[in-house]
Amino acid sequence: MAEAADTETMGHGVAVPARRDFLKILTIASGAIGAGALVWPFIDALNPDADEDAVARPIVNVGGIAENTALSVNWNGQPIFIRKLTAQQIADNQFIVPDTLPDPASYADRVKPGYETFVVVVGLNTGVPCEVIGNDPADARGPFDGWQCPCDGSVYDPLGRVRGGPAPRNLAIPRFTFLDDSQIQFG
Amino acid sequence: MSSKISKPAASPWVETRLPFLASWRAHFTAPVLAPDAPYLGTLPTLITAALVFMAVSGFVLSIHYDPGQGFASLQFIDRDVNNGWLIHAFHETGTTMIFGAVYLSLFRIIYTRAYRAPGEMVWVLGVAQFALLLLVAWLGELLTDGAVSYWSLAGATQAAGNFAGLPGALGAWFFGGPDGPGTLARMAVFHAMLALAIFGIVALHYAARRAITPPAAGRVRVSFHPYYTAQYFVAFVIFALIFAVLVFFAPHLGENRLNLAPANPLAVPVAVTPSWYLLPIIDVAGAFPAPWGGTAAVIARLAVLFALPWLDRSNPAKPGGGLYRVLVVVLAVDLVLLGLVAGAGPSTATTVLTVVFTAYYFLHFLVLTPLVTAMEAK
Amino acid sequence: MMRRFCAAALAGALLLAGAARAEDTLNPPHWQSEGLLGSYDKAALQRGFLVYQTVCASCHSANALHYRDLEGLGFSPAQVAAIASNVKLASGPATLDDVFKTPYPDSAAAAASFGGAVPPDLSDIVAARPGGPDYVYGLLTGYGTAPADVTLLPSHYYDAGYPGGQIAMPPPLKDGQVSYADGTQATAAQEAADVAAFLAWASAPNLDAAREIGLRAVLFLVFLAFLAIATKRKIWRETA
Repeated sequence: MAEAADTETMGHGVAVPARRDFLKILTIASGAIGAGALVWPFIDALNPDADEDAVARPIVNVGGIAENTALSVNWNGQPIFIRKLTAQQIADNQFIVPDTLPDPASYADRVKPGYETFVVVVGLNTGVPCEVIGNDPADARGPFDGWQCPCDGSVYDPLGRVRGGPAPRNLAIPRFTFLDDSQIQFG
Repeated sequence: MSSKISKPAASPWVETRLPFLASWRAHFTAPVLAPDAPYLGTLPTLITAALVFMAVSGFVLSIHYDPGQGFASLQFIDRDVNNGWLIHAFHETGTTMIFGAVYLSLFRIIYTRAYRAPGEMVWVLGVAQFALLLLVAWLGELLTDGAVSYWSLAGATQAAGNFAGLPGALGAWFFGGPDGPGTLARMAVFHAMLALAIFGIVALHYAARRAITPPAAGRVRVSFHPYYTAQYFVAFVIFALIFAVLVFFAPHLGENRLNLAPANPLAVPVAVTPSWYLLPIIDVAGAFPAPWGGTAAVIARLAVLFALPWLDRSNPAKPGGGLYRVLVVVLAVDLVLLGLVAGAGPSTATTVLTVVFTAYYFLHFLVLTPLVTAMEAK
Repeated sequence: MMRRFCAAALAGALLLAGAARAEDTLNPPHWQSEGLLGSYDKAALQRGFLVYQTVCASCHSANALHYRDLEGLGFSPAQVAAIASNVKLASGPATLDDVFKTPYPDSAAAAASFGGAVPPDLSDIVAARPGGPDYVYGLLTGYGTAPADVTLLPSHYYDAGYPGGQIAMPPPLKDGQVSYADGTQATAAQEAADVAAFLAWASAPNLDAAREIGLRAVLFLVFLAFLAIATKRKIWRETA
């Protein structure tokens, strides 16, 4: 049995790993990296695929929404209202001091920059859980021309901010982006 | 690290509670192996590792595969599943790699005559794996629902429907009747189950092999670890290198290109031939009398392969002569030619050649092998 | 109004994506993705998509392609969104996640339009036909007058590039049928070559990725092979 001297000692008495050990470590480490690179595609293949992404992050066309009406879509089980504001509604609500509101929020907080005529909110009352009404101009929208909850009487303005009634907070804003001026992607 | 006879247990707590781990460790560190084992001896382990790889990639594919959609389902996997094209290519090209290794292994065993006593059980189990692999590979091709696969399945279900008596009952049991909407789903389940059954035979095959391998007799003996661990690692990397070249640059190598078109019940492709690994086994349609001639020929081919240890009449203790080895090479050439002819599609010339090459195949096993081996040194 | 907007949007998208000159690669046609390490010519793919969308999409489906896949041609997400929104589906303008529009509601309607000959789906046509893009190019440029000894079936046209010579598709490409934003002259042959390149991409959108990853994988494995062999030899030198 060959007795291999597997360490050398330098002048300062510290043992240095022999070249064979360095080579072995390098080989094993490279092999581990290769194995990891091989395993990753299998794991990633079980992540949501492109069609599942499409369902999770749907794209909605908003170019056809008329002023003063709202489109209602369903996402993640919740009703989402996309409303196009009229110039009058913007003028009435743009300069209201946020601190005077039950849940302070400015105009800029409620719309996306560059797309200020669109308001996108989750259509659920923040008081008693109930779907608010007011998408169609003929609906009962309450005194602020926004939305009104038929269950507890909370009223909202066209930006979805609560103005009266028991609801404590403004209508929630979902996560979304504008792909261009007629398409919204949620998620 | 110096080379001791056996390394101390990494974890005595675990090994007292799972004693088989201790026997595994002893197996890997006992110095019982000869130092000159050739690289070709790594083939069985490479095949096993490739089988595991196929099982994992097949599992991932089966999550996204829908047998009701067939071809469209594979388009979905290739385009919309993250890295789906890569997993699909792994599974496709893995088949080519496995069969390349299996054919090489078979050739080596026949050439070195390792199937003789006491290795008959190892041989029989090996051929059983080969037969099952062929069936699993054919089922996998059916699942692609391509133009060729559709007609391959249609031909098989029609043939099974034409059998009478027991073969007919077996055919009806396997296919569930004529080709219909549920057939692919059925074939998918068989594909997965039979593939997993192969692992059982692998275990038996390994156990039988260990039973007939005595400790090395020479003066120098080494343990598996680290000597053969290093050799196997080299073999793995070379295998992976060849695999990578095929997967990324030629994933459809050896396949029937016409199968990349979707299944079309209204048009039969020019050549309904399978991928290269099935070609030496599957006859050109019409070369043998219908309805059961083709099936009988396939079964007979495998049967003579099973019977080889008993057809070889030589003395297992003696190494055996050179004439037999020449014959084995001729057999290999015959099988390659048979594959080429089968891949060329049906015509009069190919039918005649198929019969000729198949006849030589049976001649080799049933006539030449017993004669030549019996004539060797008694 | 909509038509002009469509054309402007498409042309604008192509212009934004960068100008490229097409070389005279048409005799015989040359595919940049041929060979072991070839990659797609994105400029040709974009021109080919314009031809596909203008000419082919009115009769052919491509059920495996989604509009979001067009980012692989070098378009930005906003450009792809614009391309998709120009497509009118029954449920409104298309979005990124929609499948390429099917021109006919079902195959029976398609067959009725062409006397029984259903226009095949083009998602995998290049992979499915022997010769690949050469086949598509040959088919599109092979139209001509039938030789004297050939009797054309009714509603069929003579095409030397089609097996059997008689095809039910009327010649689809003419000179100047589209106007390329990058200034390439849109002859019928150029249009055929570009749409063949696009269809080659459609059959194998991951080809570039496969070759790029493959090159890295092979180089890594060669390096690892050297390491493994060296390690094995070092270990074996310890044998008595």
